[in-house]
Amino acid sequence: MSSNRYKVLVIEDEPKIRSFVKTVLETNDYKMIPADTYAMGTTMFMSHTPDIVILDLGLPDADGIDFISFVRKTSAVPIIVLSARTGEQDKVSALDMGANDYITKPFGTAELLARIRAALRNSRFGKLPEAALIGKFVLHDMTIDYDKRTVYIKGVDANLTQTEYNIISLLSEHTGKVLTYTSIIKAVWGYPDTGSTKKLQVNMANIRKKLGIKPGDNKYIINELGVGYRMCDQNE
Amino acid sequence: MKSNKKEIIKNTLISIFILSVASVTVILLQKISNSQSTVPMIYVLAVFIAALTTKGYLYGFFASLMSVLIVNFAFTFPYFEFNFSIYENLVSAFIMLIVAASTSTLTAKIKEQEKLRAETNTEKMRANLLRAISHDLRTPLTTIYGSCSAIIENYDSLSKENKVRLLSEMREDSENLIRIVENLLSVTRVREGSVKIQKTPTMIEELIDSVLIKFHKTYKDQEVTVNIPDDFIFIPVDALLIEQVLINILENAMHHATGMTELNISVHTKNNNAVFEITDNGCGIPKNKLSNIFKQQFESSGTFSDSNRKGMGIGLSVCSAIINAHGGTIEAENRKNGGALFRITLKMEESDYEQ
Repeated sequence: MSSNRYKVLVIEDEPKIRSFVKTVLETNDYKMIPADTYAMGTTMFMSHTPDIVILDLGLPDADGIDFISFVRKTSAVPIIVLSARTGEQDKVSALDMGANDYITKPFGTAELLARIRAALRNSRFGKLPEAALIGKFVLHDMTIDYDKRTVYIKGVDANLTQTEYNIISLLSEHTGKVLTYTSIIKAVWGYPDTGSTKKLQVNMANIRKKLGIKPGDNKYIINELGVGYRMCDQNE
Repeated sequence: MKSNKKEIIKNTLISIFILSVASVTVILLQKISNSQSTVPMIYVLAVFIAALTTKGYLYGFFASLMSVLIVNFAFTFPYFEFNFSIYENLVSAFIMLIVAASTSTLTAKIKEQEKLRAETNTEKMRANLLRAISHDLRTPLTTIYGSCSAIIENYDSLSKENKVRLLSEMREDSENLIRIVENLLSVTRVREGSVKIQKTPTMIEELIDSVLIKFHKTYKDQEVTVNIPDDFIFIPVDALLIEQVLINILENAMHHATGMTELNISVHTKNNNAVFEITDNGCGIPKNKLSNIFKQQFESSGTFSDSNRKGMGIGLSVCSAIINAHGGTIEAENRKNGGALFRITLKMEESDYEQ
């Protein structure tokens, strides 16, 4: 049992946050590897080959962003960024550098665990090309049928356009993970241009309408204002 | 750089305008009576006004120099030619220069004093703000510290229910602290002006969605009705800041609108503006608070009554700071049928934004 536990490398310079994260992780059957600096983090990363990394952006000896680029040279291991900064730009740049997700401090344990689960699940399936999406995806009343390329709400065809379907299947493929506007645009249209974020937002508005989603009562797709979109985890 | 250029042009135009008025006055006066003695007086006055209304020494000197030349050229013997050999002309020129110099010095001094006074006011405001913050921070911290100690010291004797209750209160107060800190961050971001607000096109529907989801995390049972147009409306704003404004106003209703059963957020468009209205049917806003509801917490010194409980002390001031920084307006009023209304007006995207 213990040998099968996921190894979580936590790089965070604040001992109290490390301590609380450790408690949460260990009671949920993860093995935690602590590090308090960038230097220690890189050492631990190379010697322990963790399954997932939780990274504080404000480290004493380097910018957390540097750690992301260090890891991404050799590894696709999921990285969740912890950020005290609330600016959208930091989140977007961390995600675009190759981080898989972010959590803004302060955060609750449920949120932390949900993001870790989602990131681990994505890393297991994430290497499959999009064409390999088969079968069905079910979330509450919504069913995505990847074979028929159709989305159903309570069994009724939601009549999405091709573009709308592409967006929603992309999000479902990365359930629980924030996809930035840019990454969605690249995946769906192939190239970003001026106004393409708006184009995406308008498409999303149409999707919400067709799925019958009302503002404030959105159990399928979370808006991360100024950053991107995230399909909800089953457990949220 | 640009504003500097504008300033120079503006000040130059002011000086020229004042001199022209003086010249016209002198010409008119000379038509009425042939008195020579008023001429230099009027120009001295013009120089004085020019030095007073412009910034720095330069324009005062420019005005006095011009005056000397004009008087010498047009209004003193020999007419319509320059003559600096006459003793009287030299004296009047000298006097005008002195008037310009001393007026400019005086104006500069007054302006400096005003600046100093403004700085003292800002200092005072900052002190009040700090006092308000310390108060707002101390209250939840007291609960958290007290509850923690109670649990640690009486771990075995406390019942499980009591422990959970204390811990839940701690969590609630931590959430309050988080909100206070977020508000403070926004204030520094907006007030210091060091970080420019980054405006991105934001879709109103997504904004409201995000606001309601965050609001319902804390206030699970309060229903908020929504009326927004079907069209895709984009506003160029810092979405996180505007989100915070809307959440602050909704929370403000939760804390102050006694007897409220309905809370509504609606958006409509008017003259290329997006107008947000947040209404409740609670007790309304007391008349004495209505006029300065968005600034009182910063400026009133000392007494922080129960209206500042739960860290809402700076909430509305933060709202107005954020909205002002976006070039929008925020108003509060009481509704005819009871309850309060907060109205925020923000510019919509220009239609040619993309091109």
